[in-house]
Amino acid sequence: MKSDELISELSFDIPGIKKCQQNRYPLLFIDKVFDVIPGLSAKGIKCFSYNEWFFPAHFEDEPSVPGFVQVETLVQTFIMTFLSLEENRGRKTNFISIDNVKFRKMIIPGDQLIIHAKLESFKRGIAKGFAESFVDGHPACRADFIVSVPEILNSYKPSVK
Amino acid sequence: MENLEIYNKAFIESLGTTEEKLTDLKYQDILEWDSVGHMGLMVSLEEAFNIEMDIDDIIDFSSYQKGKEILAKYNIQLK
Repeated sequence: MKSDELISELSFDIPGIKKCQQNRYPLLFIDKVFDVIPGLSAKGIKCFSYNEWFFPAHFEDEPSVPGFVQVETLVQTFIMTFLSLEENRGRKTNFISIDNVKFRKMIIPGDQLIIHAKLESFKRGIAKGFAESFVDGHPACRADFIVSVPEILNSYKPSVK
Repeated sequence: MENLEIYNKAFIESLGTTEEKLTDLKYQDILEWDSVGHMGLMVSLEEAFNIEMDIDDIIDFSSYQKGKEILAKYNIQLK
């Protein structure tokens, strides 16, 4: 057995994703997460159909995925890199920073987005890393993230006297 | 750069404060020193001094002055 075969890759459908993170309709923006190496990386899929609630409003004559939704698809895949760890499942997360956001492609109804996320560090409830998305192999969006897990973070804060 | 300068720089950059306010600064005295700011400050100090602090020390790190005592345990002298 090769050493890399010892690393287990996981996948999560919607019920599985909902066990790991607390985002829910209409703000859960990934359909499936796969090739998950807990503590290291994850890949996500989001299929956009015209039935999405935002398309009729953004925009009526030219429907496309709003930027904030694209960023959410990235971060929701990113948080699966550490919320897939048994001890973190179901915990809430908060943004600390979003940097270097780049939008490279308009995403329209019928597009399937593939997201690749990497966790660079996870220490004391602070996760750092990045995610990038693709449509048909073409780059769509990318961002660097720092995300906190308040439940963990708060266990390290000084007591106020 | 002297250790004290490095220590002060970590506070100033992590918490967005000024050197004049450091002497009496305590956790939650300013909005920026909340639980998130605290962790940013701890990371900055660990990187600046190449140390890894114990959990108890991170929790005890409740002021600028207390931090000096804690760093002394890691052989970081701040004069």
